Amino acid sequence: MLTELSAYTNRWRQAPPAAKGLFSFCGMAAAFAAGSPRTALLVALILSAATILGAGVPVLRYLRVATPALLFLLASGLSLVVSLDFGGSTGGLSAHLAGAELPRIAQVSCRSLACLTALLFLALTTPLVDIVSLLRRCRLPDTLLDLMTLCYRTLFVMSEAVHETITAQSARLGYATFTLSLRSLGGLVANLSVQVWQRSQVLQLAALARNNDGALRFLGPDYPNPARAVSGAAVSGLLLIILAVTLP
Amino acid sequence: MHIMEGFLPVTHAVGWSLAAAPFVGYGLYTIKKSVRENPERRMLLGVAAAFTFVLSALKLPSVTGSSSHPTGTGLGAVLFGPTAMAPIGAVVLLFQAILLAHGGLTTLGANIFSMAIVGPFAAAAIFRLAKALKLPFGLSIFIAASLADLLTYITTSAQLALAFPDPIGGFFASFIKFSGVFAFTQIPLAIIEGLLTVVVMNSLLRYNARELQEMKITAAQPAEA
Repeated sequence: MLTELSAYTNRWRQAPPAAKGLFSFCGMAAAFAAGSPRTALLVALILSAATILGAGVPVLRYLRVATPALLFLLASGLSLVVSLDFGGSTGGLSAHLAGAELPRIAQVSCRSLACLTALLFLALTTPLVDIVSLLRRCRLPDTLLDLMTLCYRTLFVMSEAVHETITAQSARLGYATFTLSLRSLGGLVANLSVQVWQRSQVLQLAALARNNDGALRFLGPDYPNPARAVSGAAVSGLLLIILAVTLP
Repeated sequence: MHIMEGFLPVTHAVGWSLAAAPFVGYGLYTIKKSVRENPERRMLLGVAAAFTFVLSALKLPSVTGSSSHPTGTGLGAVLFGPTAMAPIGAVVLLFQAILLAHGGLTTLGANIFSMAIVGPFAAAAIFRLAKALKLPFGLSIFIAASLADLLTYITTSAQLALAFPDPIGGFFASFIKFSGVFAFTQIPLAIIEGLLTVVVMNSLLRYNARELQEMKITAAQPAEA
């Protein structure tokens, strides 16, 4: 996954997840506080610059991660542009462009873009295991955190199993037609469903062999100067919010 | 179809999060209780979350040449139960937001409500109703999975319509607009997901009877599938 690749290799990998999470949260708050599309775009630009120039995430990788979301945002924005009228002047259903709504639509789309860049900042600079450890510090229930830990540690194994199965099925023309595709995909998902039980039993055995009978806890890494990093993120985030609030 | 990051106003984002929280909380409570009685359930549900994540990344075949992804709500509800699907879905949607930039953190509550609460509960209720009506097992699975898929998207349309009512037609016109936009892609996809879920369940029943007995699924289902 491109996000995880960046999360483990960026310049701010050693910064505490609390600092990166706080800055991302402030970025989202600034996006919502922005009073105009132009201000929201400025917030998006600052957050993108922080990710690309600050954390050193390659521009092309950033764009590859952002493109599907941007296309989705475009489709979402376009859906707001059309307005429907039932039984208006024509007496039936009519669709027309919501011209008067364009400033509001621009505001929503730019806000969404700014929020997306805040999310990308967090996703591309912080590995998911660090986010889970941050959530543990935020006192989220152990059951939910165990679900996250197990899900994260198993999903790459399952993804590998899916790719291997698809390769094997494709080699036997399993996806040559629509009907064959459906049958092959059904077989793949069925096989995967059974693996859920088989793999969980093996994991349970492994946990029991290590005397585990409670929450799954792991030693987290030590971060250099965590207080300094968190206060730096808080100040930068606050400045971003002030900028968003004060600009028209 | 997830709602994009930052797309909902703050009040709606908070409101949907508050609406989803009791379901996720109750789901966690039942999981905790169940894990206390059967410790192996913890691993099972964790791996099930990974399975749901991987399932949502699979491409569905489409007759039109385009492709989309299964929601897995129907299959998940039948295999793991609707109550467990709320926290599992919450984890999967959080992972999708962070790992794939699909959905978002501010819209997590709204997405959990439509995909991890309405979908699975609808699937479970429709499946029970179909069983009570003594419909064939395959047909029951098909109806449950397809309608759960459709209800998920209808909920998403309602959430968007509430946030962005049409300036002339209000909520209703906006709802028709969003559901109409989704209908082009989601009705065929719901049918395909229903068919896929039937193929999956039939395949499980045919080749993995022993595992299904261990999963306690075959005991609850008629054998004529």
